[in-house]
Amino acid sequence: MTESGGFPYPGGGRFVGARVKRAEDPRLLTGEARYAADIQLPGMLAVAFVRATEAHARIESIDVTEALSLPGAVAVLTAADLDVAPVPLPFEFDGLAAPPQPALARNKVRFLGEPVAVVVAENRYQAEDIADRVRVRYDRLGVVVSPEAARAADAPLLFEDLGTNVLFERTESAGDVEGAFAEAAHVFRKTFHTNRFVACPMEGRGVVAHYEPRADHLKVWSSTQTPFLLRTTLAAVLPYPEHRLQVIVPEVGGGFGAKMSTYPEEVAVAAASLKLGRPLSWIEDRRENLLAANHAKEQQITLELALDTEGQILALRAEHVGDAGAYNFNSTSCLIEPFIGARNLPGVLRLRNYEWTVVSVATNRSPVGAFRAVGSTPGSTTRDAFLDEIARQLGIDVVKFFRKNMIRADEMPYHQATGQVYDSGDYIGSLDQAVELVDYAGFRRRQEEARSEGRYLGIGFSPFVEATGWGSEIAKSQGLPFSSHDNASVSVDPSGMVTVATSMASQGQGHETSFAQVAADVLGVDVATVRVTQGDTDVSPYGMGTFASRSAIIGGGSVLLAAEEVRKKVLAIAAKTLEASAEDLEIADGRVAVKGAPQRGLSYPEVAAIAHWDLGVRSDDDGHRLAATRFYDPPATFSNGCFVALVEVDPELGTVKLEKIVGVEDCGRVINPMIVEGQSHGAVAQAVGGALLEHMVYDENGGLITSTFMDYLLPTALDVPPIEIAHMETLAPHTAGGFKGMGEGGLMSAPGAIVCAVVDALSPFGAVLEELPLGPEQVARMAGSLATEGGHS
Amino acid sequence: MKPTPFEYHRAETTEEAVRLLVECGEEAKVLAGGQSLVPTMNLRLAQPSALIDIAGIGGLAGIAREGGSLRVGATTRQSAVLADPEIAVDAPMVAEALRWVGHEANRNRGTFGGSAAHADPAAEIPAVLVALGADLEITGPRGFRTVPAADFFVSFFTTSIEPDELLTAVRLPSRHGPWAFEEIARRHGDFALVGVAAALVVDEQGIVGACDLVLMGVDDVPWSAQAAQEVVVGNRVTPELAREARAVIESTVEPSSDVHASSCYRSHAAGVLVERALLKATGRKEQG
Repeated sequence: MTESGGFPYPGGGRFVGARVKRAEDPRLLTGEARYAADIQLPGMLAVAFVRATEAHARIESIDVTEALSLPGAVAVLTAADLDVAPVPLPFEFDGLAAPPQPALARNKVRFLGEPVAVVVAENRYQAEDIADRVRVRYDRLGVVVSPEAARAADAPLLFEDLGTNVLFERTESAGDVEGAFAEAAHVFRKTFHTNRFVACPMEGRGVVAHYEPRADHLKVWSSTQTPFLLRTTLAAVLPYPEHRLQVIVPEVGGGFGAKMSTYPEEVAVAAASLKLGRPLSWIEDRRENLLAANHAKEQQITLELALDTEGQILALRAEHVGDAGAYNFNSTSCLIEPFIGARNLPGVLRLRNYEWTVVSVATNRSPVGAFRAVGSTPGSTTRDAFLDEIARQLGIDVVKFFRKNMIRADEMPYHQATGQVYDSGDYIGSLDQAVELVDYAGFRRRQEEARSEGRYLGIGFSPFVEATGWGSEIAKSQGLPFSSHDNASVSVDPSGMVTVATSMASQGQGHETSFAQVAADVLGVDVATVRVTQGDTDVSPYGMGTFASRSAIIGGGSVLLAAEEVRKKVLAIAAKTLEASAEDLEIADGRVAVKGAPQRGLSYPEVAAIAHWDLGVRSDDDGHRLAATRFYDPPATFSNGCFVALVEVDPELGTVKLEKIVGVEDCGRVINPMIVEGQSHGAVAQAVGGALLEHMVYDENGGLITSTFMDYLLPTALDVPPIEIAHMETLAPHTAGGFKGMGEGGLMSAPGAIVCAVVDALSPFGAVLEELPLGPEQVARMAGSLATEGGHS
Repeated sequence: MKPTPFEYHRAETTEEAVRLLVECGEEAKVLAGGQSLVPTMNLRLAQPSALIDIAGIGGLAGIAREGGSLRVGATTRQSAVLADPEIAVDAPMVAEALRWVGHEANRNRGTFGGSAAHADPAAEIPAVLVALGADLEITGPRGFRTVPAADFFVSFFTTSIEPDELLTAVRLPSRHGPWAFEEIARRHGDFALVGVAAALVVDEQGIVGACDLVLMGVDDVPWSAQAAQEVVVGNRVTPELAREARAVIESTVEPSSDVHASSCYRSHAAGVLVERALLKATGRKEQG
């Protein structure tokens, strides 16, 4: 368990590492929290979108006459009425044709569900009635619903100007791949196609925009992960002066990456409010969320592995083909699945020779974007299934196979073939701890016994390394060179209470608790005297926001650095007042005192009052105001760990019962173990969905079949097994506080663990992974219980 | 996900409900627990002109013993049926099947009659009613009638209830013979991929005198597996016989495919479940 004593602040270390109860929870658990849907403004109107009912078609005409005659109708706005620029890419990217999505479809629609018009009405019921009566005449075009179809020579083109549906194609390599394959004792090759699944936050998207013409102020509440990026983007595309634009993030019910990009709907609602001068509210419903919030995770991955006679990996080739969907969001979204997938596929493996090809293809499906463990879920799952299958064929125990090929602790820092430098960690140590936690030897005995009774148990391992806390350095090493940073302000008010303002925005991560823990320990005060504010661009300093496991490192780091500066000011004021040297003072429990003479001291309220009101001190130096803002752009750091799944499979019916999932997580210094475990639990629940249940299915016309929760199957509490999380703590050597990011590993790694466990359970039947997710039919087929596909008519 | 405009009527009596049905015409819908109807309306797949809410009709809820059977009022909540001690003794398969119906929150609102009248062919209650030989009581402007479950289900979401009629109760006969209820769904609480309600009559020598095998999820109505029943009747249930029944099921059932499972899988799973149900039913200590 985490030892808090190591946090290097004299008198501190009380809160970092402790299971501090979350400051957020009372309001969340009692229903007092206020989400976008709870915002009510005088004169507010409801928005509904008219969405494309064709997957690919030219818009011939839009007739709003009948719609506008219905009760409650205020306006129906089309692309012709809202003249806003498409959201641009944040940085140049060589070789990427990234056609952006307009706020509203112009001339043509490219996926079913694409926004075509904004309906504004007195209430949402009326808005939907009105949307139903907007008559859009479409001229149907050919539809492509897979990268294979989209790459065909005569495929219909989504963007005629490009002359192709291929948006990106690049091969990179390191080492001598060809040479290694030439001398290999074994070569294995397999193609996997992973399922398309989505973030499904409990709260969908939501935007309230309020333009006040005479105040010359545009206020936008959005359920977003990136308030400042949204502000900057809106300012550019609407356009509207950024200093008169305020973005506020209300309580957010989950984001998981899907609320990271600026969405066309956010732009459209803000533009409509500007045009109408009225407050507007758009609260996304579930069908819209499934249709048009970004999809994720689907890739076609072909792997080719070269091994020597001892089972040592010599080289790997990977081709990742991503289905971009119909557009690119402003985060290079069309690229991130295959690009990050290929770059992170080697993960924990010691790999000298690697060649990777990345292809991104536009199709008439919902655009793809970020979702927890971006790109890495498909890569990690297929790599694990591939290695598992190879180990079985070679007759090597998979844990031994992993251990033989994993990077050792004494090789740190390790230069991976992809150019990433893994800073620290004991990857094999994490695997070994997981092996011990599940009593691997005991499990194998139990498995033997069960088989003799006709029951099939299985176990699967997935060790992982996780690029976290995307600052500029790690972004560059990932091949996506964006400049990245965040800021935090720490201030002590005249009564001695502490306020932290951060540019991060929480979607449930517990920032108000963990950042308060960091500030409290640095300042030497009680955590209850620290309040964290976030998510209001008028209140916090500028920054990128919360995505890519950035918050603990960059948010926590910037809070730490700002608090350190305030701590120095506190010591300076106390030193002057107490007529002592700052080096002779110590801070503990909210009190600054001379070392060895605790009666010679001042409380925080006393120091704060002096700093603000004592002319003798205050006038001395303006710097004595007890506040500081610090910028942080951290060096690269990588978390690691290992997830293990234990399952029982019914080979006849193909049902999978998850017995337990065990995870070992090393995210550097743990700020709050309870929050870390909660992150892992959530990621595992999503992993269960991705491995066994969730799949976005389209028909050949580009129609989404899984457009409700009847057909798109999320795991419920009944489907998630007991989860055990153990912590390792290898401090990040280069980041402030030794923090690493975490929260994505469970969704990177647990799906592979589950898949391998199912294959392991069915190994007496010679099962191999063929299709994802592992629904009962797929599993029964793997077990040989079913005839070949479509065999029964 | 908001419904289209509709009228709302709350009936106080069965007579008033029938009068409203006549007045509002064929586009009106009866609202009981709303667990299927309301989501369908929110998706605008159903756009009724009027809802006639029968949940407040006093006499329509409750369970009463009438002779050899239990009469379950149409608006009795599923959770009340599941918790009823007499149901547990006289119709244990009903209680078992109800555990598969949605989740507790759904069963607290969903009604027993509502599930029958909704007539989803993948739902649990319709199959159980057919397997047990239940009778359904219907009231309308032309009076009162009783329909056996086997004749009640006509097609997908279609029963023999006329648009101006109301289902008022379900009569469950007491059956104490061997039974089993087996189902496979993607998640607990989902509609069945396939399932089987099996009710048997077995004499002291173990010979099966009657066998009702009713499958859900394989046809447009609860599907009585005639050929498989004939294999079982007159015989003792052995692993071999159960296997034979399974083979008959697999070769006679013709389910359709959807996003959750192919026809091929459903046929296979139907056979497996029937085999398991027969063995479980006859291996179970007889209840009651």
